[in-house]
Amino acid sequence: MYSPRVIISTHNTLEALGMSKLLREAFDIDAHIVDNDFFADTISSAEPDFFFIDQETLVTNLTFFLPRKAKTVVLTSNDKSIDDMTTVNITAHEHDIVNTLNPVLEAHDYHENASNTLSARETEVLRLIASGKINKEIAHDLNISINTVLSHRKNITTKLGIKSVSGLSFYAMMNGIV
Amino acid sequence: MALINRDSKLSDIILNDPLTITVLDRFGISLGVGDKSVDDACREHGIDVKFFTAILNTFINENYFPQEALAQFSVAEIVDYLSKTNSYYEMYVLPNIERHFSFLIAKAPSHNNNLVIMKQFFDEMKNELLQRIDDDRNRWFPNVCSNEKSHTAIANAEPDEEATDSIEDKIDDLINMLVMHLKGDYDHNLGMAVVAAVFSLKKDIKQNNRIRDRILKPISHHRHLTQCNV
Repeated sequence: MYSPRVIISTHNTLEALGMSKLLREAFDIDAHIVDNDFFADTISSAEPDFFFIDQETLVTNLTFFLPRKAKTVVLTSNDKSIDDMTTVNITAHEHDIVNTLNPVLEAHDYHENASNTLSARETEVLRLIASGKINKEIAHDLNISINTVLSHRKNITTKLGIKSVSGLSFYAMMNGIV
Repeated sequence: MALINRDSKLSDIILNDPLTITVLDRFGISLGVGDKSVDDACREHGIDVKFFTAILNTFINENYFPQEALAQFSVAEIVDYLSKTNSYYEMYVLPNIERHFSFLIAKAPSHNNNLVIMKQFFDEMKNELLQRIDDDRNRWFPNVCSNEKSHTAIANAEPDEEATDSIEDKIDDLINMLVMHLKGDYDHNLGMAVVAAVFSLKKDIKQNNRIRDRILKPISHHRHLTQCNV
């Protein structure tokens, strides 16, 4: 199951540790705590799904977070809202914090990645694989590049858990695709 | 589990991983092992202790692969072990999966044809494996064991598995099909039995392929071969 990548970066160590424990226990998410001073360096590599930060981190990295409002959660010690970002009052009761976070973490579109239904295009590629065509022929038939065919095949294999050509052909037969 | 050594008890080995029974069987050891140690059993059956422990440890621990140690053993020993492994697939594992599969299909309502299609996929994999076993027996193993042949002749005798999807991949696919895509009415106990049987084949083939690809193939490429009489 795909679990969102979460980065926590605050100036208060216990705040970060507490947040990480709550995410693990309530949402089964393993958050990554990042040292504040190195924040900017760490983030550049792989883009996380959520940032949990305190106000100070927000202010010092404003240009970074403003375009990422939808995936930023600001930890505060009052109920004031900040520029339509999600805020969590860390002095609130645990179940209130969970209730605040629940819709945010749920709504995120990472759930789509975990789906194993094929898109129309992927089904089409699968049908051609099952009919014995090689990548070059599939690319020609669908008028797409070989790289696109390869990327469709990779997605098909991830979704179905089947990688051999004959396995895919039998799957297509089972599901009336050929 | 910690690595097996000459003092390990056979009963502990089996209780820790029951699939090892099938490996012990290839060395002529069957159930009813009492409190015999590895050393006792090897002496009794005339087995090289080092070879025995290397094979068992390779089987039990996926990350353990004593490539250098295994390369020290005689080609005859390795070929003998691989031949017995092949017979085990041919005589026991494949018929066992087939039997369970046939029961599963026989008990399912006739409109559930996705089982029949999966069985066809299994048959394809089975025939490929039987073909490989036949090729090992009649071509590759005798060639590896004979020091009369020239290097080119031996290299040509090697099984060519690069061109198509590997047997290992197909077994993985079959398991995933059963686990992820089985639908309709079927007998749940028999369904589980088929998955368990295919799964034990998967584990066995995986370790068997490591010995084939990383020990016997390099030997058949590079080394001056010792005489063997299999």
